[in-house]
Amino acid sequence: MSAAEGHRDWRDVVYPLALIGALLAGWEWAATHGYLRPIRFPPPSTLLASLVELVREGFPEGITLGTHFALTMQRILAGFALAVALAVPLGLAIGWYPLLDRLTESVIAFCRSVATLSLLPLAIVWFGTGEGSKVFLIGYGCFWVMLANTVAAVRQVDPLLVRAASTMDTGPAEMFVRVVLPAVLPRLFAGARIALGVGFMVIVGAEMIGTIHGLGALIMEARTFYRSDITVVGMIVIGGLGFAITAAMQRLERLLLPWQAPVDGAR
Amino acid sequence: MSTDARLAARYPMLGLLGALALLLAWELAARWLWRDPQVLPSPIQSIQAAARHLTLPEVAEHVGVSVARVVGGFVLAAVSGVALGIACGWYRPLSRLVRPLVELLRPIPPLAWIPMAIIWFGLGEPSKLFVIFLGAFFPIFTNAWRGMRSVPPVLLRAARTMDVDGLALLFRVGIPAAAPDITTGLRVGFGLAFGILVAAELIAAESGMGYLVMQSRQLGELGLAVFGIFLIGVVSLVADMALATGMRRLIRGRGTLS
Amino acid sequence: MPVNATAPPKIVVDRVAKHFPGDAADAPVLADLSMTIAENEFLVLLGRSGCGKTTLLNTIAGLERASSGTVHVDGAPVDRPGQGKGMVFQQGALFPWLTAAGNVAFAARKRLPDARARRARARELLELVGLGGAEDKYPSELSGGMQQRVAIARALALDPEILLMDEPFGALDELTRIEMQQELTRVWQARRKTVVFVTHSIWEGLMLADRIMVMAARPGRIVLERQIAIDRPRRRTDPELIACYEDIWRSLQ
Repeated sequence: MSAAEGHRDWRDVVYPLALIGALLAGWEWAATHGYLRPIRFPPPSTLLASLVELVREGFPEGITLGTHFALTMQRILAGFALAVALAVPLGLAIGWYPLLDRLTESVIAFCRSVATLSLLPLAIVWFGTGEGSKVFLIGYGCFWVMLANTVAAVRQVDPLLVRAASTMDTGPAEMFVRVVLPAVLPRLFAGARIALGVGFMVIVGAEMIGTIHGLGALIMEARTFYRSDITVVGMIVIGGLGFAITAAMQRLERLLLPWQAPVDGAR
Repeated sequence: MSTDARLAARYPMLGLLGALALLLAWELAARWLWRDPQVLPSPIQSIQAAARHLTLPEVAEHVGVSVARVVGGFVLAAVSGVALGIACGWYRPLSRLVRPLVELLRPIPPLAWIPMAIIWFGLGEPSKLFVIFLGAFFPIFTNAWRGMRSVPPVLLRAARTMDVDGLALLFRVGIPAAAPDITTGLRVGFGLAFGILVAAELIAAESGMGYLVMQSRQLGELGLAVFGIFLIGVVSLVADMALATGMRRLIRGRGTLS
Repeated sequence: MPVNATAPPKIVVDRVAKHFPGDAADAPVLADLSMTIAENEFLVLLGRSGCGKTTLLNTIAGLERASSGTVHVDGAPVDRPGQGKGMVFQQGALFPWLTAAGNVAFAARKRLPDARARRARARELLELVGLGGAEDKYPSELSGGMQQRVAIARALALDPEILLMDEPFGALDELTRIEMQQELTRVWQARRKTVVFVTHSIWEGLMLADRIMVMAARPGRIVLERQIAIDRPRRRTDPELIACYEDIWRSLQ
């Protein structure tokens, strides 16, 4: 993103920091002097105390931030891994055979446009109210994004590369393993990045219904007990987690695909 | 590629065929393998279930309420996101103030705002509009900003040599050049808005398509949920297509103007 | 180069025609085109965009099929790419996920199963095209001219008897282009191959070719054929070349 901004100068660092510092200070001052109601805008000092409380004692009592965090993380990773394991081989096959692509095109478009969370009632009937239904919902959301991006990746392999390889006595199996697979990797990574984002959105919604474990449940529970401070801390943790996941994916991508800059996928 | 073109020319209905085959397989599996419409209702059973519990005007009302919410939140996001994105892309100092805030808030999933939205705006429509707005705002803003940043400088320089300057430069060169990026952002934002709408209606609402799906649990009628899911899929596909066509027309209009 | 007239031709193109569906019947891309190319000859196909020269090259390569007519290499009909025909494309067509050496080594994998020998061969060929030291660079880190050098080294790594080149220097700037022409002449003199080279630059053809065939479009056909029996390295001020240039230019009008 900074590349699009052009060159960086000191103002790019100082201005935002100053602005955010001023906002936080103003917020603190307004809340402690009665201009903002703390229930609506819990001041930063309260948030800090709530964070400590969340880590030490937990909310609801006994369920610490670590537990919520670990559960959410576990659900996302399980659903995401399942989706990738199913979608990538299937997507490679669909992308490779035009007939298959034509047949499945409209089904994939439709399933993608179904809002994942609307499957909740089905998920509960099929997998119960426990972990199964949450993993299913995340898996569903990630699966279609990953599938669509995998198919598109195969379709977009530069035909020139395939021609060039064919002039070097490359048979069909070799073509797939040594040309098509490496050529689709960047787009697969882009798809994985977006799929994780979708999974992240789905889990927050899924945890808001019928559970008290997980970060989504935490912020919803806190609201019903008028602990908006805990809600805000939970939101910050969720945001931080999302940010960390994206950053880690980009790192991994740069490590595994040293030859190229990240590409954009489609949601 | 050429195989694909030939397939498309010879069998234009292949996509429909695939979808119909899947529906048929589902219908048969539900009737002869699972045999329990409360575990896997078939498509026809789902429609029958919907007919038992809903009248057509009721369905229309749920759809209407949902669409009104999406359009409301989306329009809010489109107007503010496009305006702010263009302004930030055009005036660097503004971007230094606004973008860090946007980047700070972006990682928080829109659904995570629901509790605070309820605290701030209550359980009514404004809190739903707010959450939908948040979902659509970020991609719209970012695409508009990026589109403005990536207007080829040579276009701006060429315009300056023809004495186009100031606001005229922004409106007659900058924005038209960024239009493709802006429309991309609008479409992505609209898709997100739809997904979030359903979630918001699942969690806290008494009407709309998401509520319809949740209602199936109280009624113990899974077919109703399947009906609702299909309704959501169809409506969002149709809405997306309408938006895409509208946008193409808008851009073409701009093109003939200049 | 003097070509041995009694030796059997390396490539025989026999009444090759190519139509695309929907074309006017009297304006095929290639209209019953025939030619023979001798072993180790450097043949240049010259013409405007759309005259069918690339289609002809692809047909010789086995990448495209003729609507009618045949292409034979060493007496055997061509039915697929590969098989001792190396090819260089206009945009390099290097695998972006492999380094320069990796790209060259990929082409050598069938002949040299041993990884270390392959690596040494890649190094040697990159050296030959003037890219010593760039072995571990990815294509995205190389300039256009350097990428084309890798592409030539990669085609040579197949150890082909025939080298097919489709406007390989078309995307390069003038100065790089002249350097590349000199390099190619040098490489070709070091490792004799039969070369078919497609270009739309008259000077490029004159500097490189043993023989130039000028093509015209719709129907795709040959309008002029010229032997260029001038020793290399050639100079652009050579009066014979200038006369040739005039003839070719006229034939293209």
